[in-house]
Amino acid sequence: MEFKVSLGPQHPALHEPISLRMTLDGEIIRDADLKLGYNHRGIEKLAESRTFIQNLYLTERICGICSFSHQTCFTQGVEKLMELVPAKRGLYIRTLVCELERVHSHLLWLGVAGQEAGFESFFMYTWRDREVVMDILDTISGNRVHYSMNTFGGVRRDIDEIQRKHILDSLDLLRTRTEYYLNLAATEPTFVGRLSGVGKLSKEQAIALCAVGPTLRASGVPMDVRKDDPYAVYDEIPFEVCTADSCDVLGRAVVRVKELMQSYNIIEFLLKNLPAGPIKVKAPRKVKENEVFSRYEAPRGENVHYIKSNGSDKPERLKVRAPTLANYPATIAMLKDGFIADIPLIFAAIDPCICCAERLVQLDHPRSGESKVLTFSQLRQMANQRYKNKQFKKKETLWPF
Amino acid sequence: MNAEAIVQKISSDIKDKIQEVSLAAPLRINVKVDREKLLAVLQYLKEQFGFTHLATISGVDLGESFEVIYHLASHLATVNVRILTPRSAPTIPSTVSIIPGAILYERELQDMFGLVVQNIPNPRPLLLADDWPAGEYPLRKDWHFNRPAEKIPGGK
Repeated sequence: MEFKVSLGPQHPALHEPISLRMTLDGEIIRDADLKLGYNHRGIEKLAESRTFIQNLYLTERICGICSFSHQTCFTQGVEKLMELVPAKRGLYIRTLVCELERVHSHLLWLGVAGQEAGFESFFMYTWRDREVVMDILDTISGNRVHYSMNTFGGVRRDIDEIQRKHILDSLDLLRTRTEYYLNLAATEPTFVGRLSGVGKLSKEQAIALCAVGPTLRASGVPMDVRKDDPYAVYDEIPFEVCTADSCDVLGRAVVRVKELMQSYNIIEFLLKNLPAGPIKVKAPRKVKENEVFSRYEAPRGENVHYIKSNGSDKPERLKVRAPTLANYPATIAMLKDGFIADIPLIFAAIDPCICCAERLVQLDHPRSGESKVLTFSQLRQMANQRYKNKQFKKKETLWPF
Repeated sequence: MNAEAIVQKISSDIKDKIQEVSLAAPLRINVKVDREKLLAVLQYLKEQFGFTHLATISGVDLGESFEVIYHLASHLATVNVRILTPRSAPTIPSTVSIIPGAILYERELQDMFGLVVQNIPNPRPLLLADDWPAGEYPLRKDWHFNRPAEKIPGGK
């Protein structure tokens, strides 16, 4: 007998409304189905009735964590439509904010992963250090969430010598902290044991299902838009594409930690090689008829904007594909044949809490479907008996550093 | 292999299947095909150059017809394969057999433009609300949002 459990769209543990319907066999997920659109705001339609300048601030509001990704992706596309060459210093500052955003997003993710794995202090430590990056972003742009740094032809705010020194000093702190977490996690067997082998996604599956970002790179595919299709000043910066071969949640954590270290190097390179000069060039208001396909490596993966202009000051069509949508088919594949208890880890930000609230008095056999009423103490006896008879194998887990 | 070489090879190998191929910008290749030959072209691009990653599918309302653009990306270049489908009979073939990751983008096209994707494995609505009226497709140019009059509960 199959059980169907639905999760969301409104659930106390969900951060965003999404509906997930799972077909269960006992504790094992056999199939999962998604229904999206509970947070659909019609931004693509709205963008058609706004000017390019207005759309700059609309695209920023697509996401609250990678707001700069969407804005930069849109700005770069429109700059190509305008045939505009942005100011060099402006591009350096833009890239700097891109990388700072990646650092804050990855630290946030690490904390969430720690929390879902039951490692609460890890969560609190990483989020404390994330404040360092948030403070840097605050001093550069004046905002913590929507930086509004971009404009067509460059950026809107310059950074001065004091800010530059402040960022470099903070970077030392972040580096030491990240290295400390690396050692902490490497010597913490429960953390490694909880993450390894969970949410398997083979290399072939990841490619076929068009996964992006750290999810794809953790399955051993070195795809990074910053290397494949360099934008801003990434063709001048030395950095490595981080991958892992373990194809599980641990691999995804490893890729993100490695990317953090790469980001610190990129930020240091940018600040030490910051060119002098203007931060922006003047941009026209109207855009002639053309189309552009803009790609950007957001913290979560490849972000894509398709912009078509019609000769006026408004776009004819703006198509946005955020990295999370591209990763949904892969997430379904990860959930299949996994345990209910692994959903929070696989879905990272989602904590469904299916099992904990229920006091079971009636048991349906998962295969035959026959019902039987049991008291709580009988249930406890059964559980103890089951675990006494079961031979547990000790899991050999190694932190892959 | 760079983008120019890919353009050369496409125009010599599958000349009979495509309408035109051009290099629109650095690393951006535009290919225009008939919708009947779309699957053959995608299969060729996958086998010949390894274009397995479908970034997204964009739909554009051109009035008389819809333009559907398949953005394929790899480390070599980005190929935009575009087809046209008439507004009177807006059908497109499903590409899930070649690219399994296309499913959500095709379901999105069905919701937003009212395109009929043939042979799609899971045709249920993805984004629109459960009580969304049938036959209304928000991203078509002739669709406009009319905000319903606000009703204040208990008001006059």
